[in-house]
Amino acid sequence: MTDTSSIMAKKRSYGGLSTGTVAPWVICTAILLVLPYVFQSNSALTIMNQMAITIVFALAYNMLLGQGGMLSFGHAVYMGMGGFMCMHVMNWVEYENIPLPLPLLPVIGGLFGMGMATIIGSFSTRTAGTVFAMISLGIGELIAASSVIVVAFFGGEEGVSGDRTYGLPVFGYEFLTKIEVYYLTAGWLVLSALLMYLFSRTPVGRMANAVRDNPERAQFLGYSARWVRFYSFCASGFFAGVAGGLFAINFEILTEENLNLVTSGSILLITFLGGVGFFFGPIIGAIVFTLLQSVLSLQTELWQLYVGALFVLTVMYFPGGLAGVLMMHVVPYKLGKLGTLVVPYIKTLIPAAIGILGLASFCELMFHFKHAAVGEHDMSLFGIEFSTHSPIPWIVIIGLTVIGFWLAKRSSAELRETWGNANVMTSSKEGGAQ
Amino acid sequence: MELVLVILIDGLVYGLLLFMLSSGLTLIFSMMGVLNFAHASFYMLGAYFAYQISRYMGFWPGLILAPIIVGVAGAAIERFGLRKVHQYGHVPELIFTFGLALLIEEIVQFFWGKNQVPYDAPEVLQFALFSIGTNEIQAYKVFMIAISVLIFLCLLYVLTKTRVGMIIQAALSYPRTVEALGHNVPFIFMGVFGVGTALAGLAGVIAGPQLGTFPGMAFLLGSIVFVTIVIGGLGSLWGALVASLLIGWMTTFAASYNVAMADILMAVGFEMPEEMSEHALRDIWTLTLPQIGPILPYLLMVVILVFRPYGLFGKRDA
Amino acid sequence: MTAALELEGLRKSFGKTEIIRGVDLSIGKGERHAIIGPNGAGKSTLFNLITGRFPQTSGHVRLHGHDLAGKAPFEINRMGLSRSFQITNIFPRMTVFENVRCSLLWSMGYKYSFWNMVSKSRALNEGAEEILEQINLSSRRDLPAGVLSYAEQRALEIGITIAGGADVIMLDEPTAGMSNTETDYIVGLIEKVTEGKTLIMVEHDMGVVFGLCDRISVLVYGEIVATGEPEAVRADQAVQEAYLGAALEAEH
Repeated sequence: MTDTSSIMAKKRSYGGLSTGTVAPWVICTAILLVLPYVFQSNSALTIMNQMAITIVFALAYNMLLGQGGMLSFGHAVYMGMGGFMCMHVMNWVEYENIPLPLPLLPVIGGLFGMGMATIIGSFSTRTAGTVFAMISLGIGELIAASSVIVVAFFGGEEGVSGDRTYGLPVFGYEFLTKIEVYYLTAGWLVLSALLMYLFSRTPVGRMANAVRDNPERAQFLGYSARWVRFYSFCASGFFAGVAGGLFAINFEILTEENLNLVTSGSILLITFLGGVGFFFGPIIGAIVFTLLQSVLSLQTELWQLYVGALFVLTVMYFPGGLAGVLMMHVVPYKLGKLGTLVVPYIKTLIPAAIGILGLASFCELMFHFKHAAVGEHDMSLFGIEFSTHSPIPWIVIIGLTVIGFWLAKRSSAELRETWGNANVMTSSKEGGAQ
Repeated sequence: MELVLVILIDGLVYGLLLFMLSSGLTLIFSMMGVLNFAHASFYMLGAYFAYQISRYMGFWPGLILAPIIVGVAGAAIERFGLRKVHQYGHVPELIFTFGLALLIEEIVQFFWGKNQVPYDAPEVLQFALFSIGTNEIQAYKVFMIAISVLIFLCLLYVLTKTRVGMIIQAALSYPRTVEALGHNVPFIFMGVFGVGTALAGLAGVIAGPQLGTFPGMAFLLGSIVFVTIVIGGLGSLWGALVASLLIGWMTTFAASYNVAMADILMAVGFEMPEEMSEHALRDIWTLTLPQIGPILPYLLMVVILVFRPYGLFGKRDA
Repeated sequence: MTAALELEGLRKSFGKTEIIRGVDLSIGKGERHAIIGPNGAGKSTLFNLITGRFPQTSGHVRLHGHDLAGKAPFEINRMGLSRSFQITNIFPRMTVFENVRCSLLWSMGYKYSFWNMVSKSRALNEGAEEILEQINLSSRRDLPAGVLSYAEQRALEIGITIAGGADVIMLDEPTAGMSNTETDYIVGLIEKVTEGKTLIMVEHDMGVVFGLCDRISVLVYGEIVATGEPEAVRADQAVQEAYLGAALEAEH
């Protein structure tokens, strides 16, 4: 422990701007610019737009959960309300000829989301913990339920829809095509991610962490824990509203679905999956989840089962989420021992992957066996066609699963040992480093 | 008058059902500090297990066996899942149970499909026991009330008259002290979790035939159960009982009496706008009580949390 | 000249039990004052009353002449009173440096601002480094505070407590649970960082108290039985009977 700490202590960072902190932003922006040239199909653009919106929403959510320690079960409200407002504004722009360029629409969503958060946060942020969680659940259900009642604003069952192309053209762009919308969304993604990152570096953002860790101590440093929570809550509401505005621009329709508990629950799932402990965690979560959702759901009916299992296992074994797993490798990297892990990883993860695929195949097989139409015995997995009523596929799949997991378990001991070694300095290395 | 009686009975059925869930949930919360988001999922599992058993052995063995299986499953999940997450703190625990709820729903769909399964009340109980005016009261409803009351009395007996009950009662108010007194707290946790989920399972067994057995049944009841224990006060059994009955009657009354907002507004002296379809407040004018019935519990919860954060009967701050 | 801290007829009851039974005390500017007394005398309760953690049942607390009644802890802190806790109370998941920097924010006037970058302010960062230097934790600056050793965490807590520049510092058993060397180290630290400030501490270790403090108050069952300079208190008959004799004997 002291060995690694002395390495870390050498640099003096104030968390400010340096090549180390600026480079990731430049690289990510460059990737966002290039992506549409790599994935040109319409469906890929749809997925990427969806991903960008989810990232903004997940980052906004993590301002509460990760930065501020507030667990919300109703955060879809702020995104949804922002989105609904944007749909109405979009329609006003169309019917009343209001000169509002489309790229500015998310600001209105953000302000409306922030307005909602100001009202609700004024009483819900008095405490964190269970009371906050329950109020957020109650408010979420209330607003989701009233969306069917207050037809004037929420449009009832069919929701509110509009057309983004009727606004003012911006430099000749009318946002007819997906690619134009992509760049609009990507621009807002970078802008809001940057603003949220900078927010976490401001006094109130720092104090949000302090209040999360120890609200009482924060009080004795001159800060009211309640106000710190309130400001984080409003800021989070703003960016959730921005995400809502982007949703409105992309899909041109908002319904009750955007407000309900399922949406609120998924954003919690996404954020936690990515990792709440790091700023970039929710970004990874949103990318992985959107990919799973759009790719896996085409392949199998059971995708939600797999996602659910992945989520439960993540909470149990990797409470730091995917970002936590990534960051676990920083110490071995700094010690220059990342290389030693490659072989044990291959030896463990490949059989484990085979085992997991085998298990999934077994689920698919059983699901087909139980629920397929009567007399339909043929199914295909990974391009191989077979009959579910012959014993051979069952034997092969069970065999592969068992062998895969057995091999993985056998080499996991070696992996654990290498991992342990990779996290401490060996004596020869120590001499070299000092 | 007759209608009031019928509603009182229906509300009682619903309220007692809620109590069977909320009592277990509130016990688990006060002992372990875990708000078990998957509690209603165990209720659903109870219904499905009982359905599966009833296909081979009839209704009655299911009534006994299904809650036991659910309880064992619950205890196993506590032992091998929750206990592992416990070390990371309360928020990951809550998130774990949240994920569990999603997973259980998917698993149920995997085995029993997306549609409602034909799980029915036993034929012995499928008759009208008595009638109030023109409304027949099914024997099964009375049976549900009887079972719930029986469970309530058992719970009361165990909690007030037995040694285990004393420990649990002590743990409700002073969890740390009980641990310090040398009781095997992990074992008590597992037991309470098992019993709590078994109670939820039993609720599912008897509610399945009445309210329908389908994959969405947990979701439908899940958040209401939460609302119940929050209104009653986290950790208070009496609070759970009062809140359950309150919500049971409130929602049943709201669903049965068609009070229109327009009538109220006109009675107060507002004038009904002539052109309703374009009026800005048209939604308020067309509002009816059955429409807002389902959201009344949430409204009540938010109001209570704002003014009395520890609920009606709660002592400890959540 | 008004006293730095003045207690007048301060009482606190929990239910029917009266824990603090009318405390009158005046502590002058720049004074180092210890509150001692047997276990259960109400020392920590007194601290909590002064700092607004609990409301008092009756009586007054005045800081530089201003009544603190009904003020929340954060408001009291802003008026120039800072405290540490008996059980270590820091921000465990934040780095040592962040811990100190956060405790400087309010006093440097940053309030709830979201338009300043904390990394941009030289005064803030240099101030935090300076305090780290004072409490000898510079080598630990980038570690999460939760992984520090017990003595280091106590030192950090003292650092957080003095960082805001409050002129009245209250320390609740700063040396509890420490070895002799650690105690000496912390006492030296306290002496250094409270230079020129008003210090009020609860302490069990008589060596620390007599070495460090200008005046001592003895609290027994919620009442102050004696106040005065160390030698006078040591000689006081009532004190000897109530408490000190036994404690001194135990030490020999």
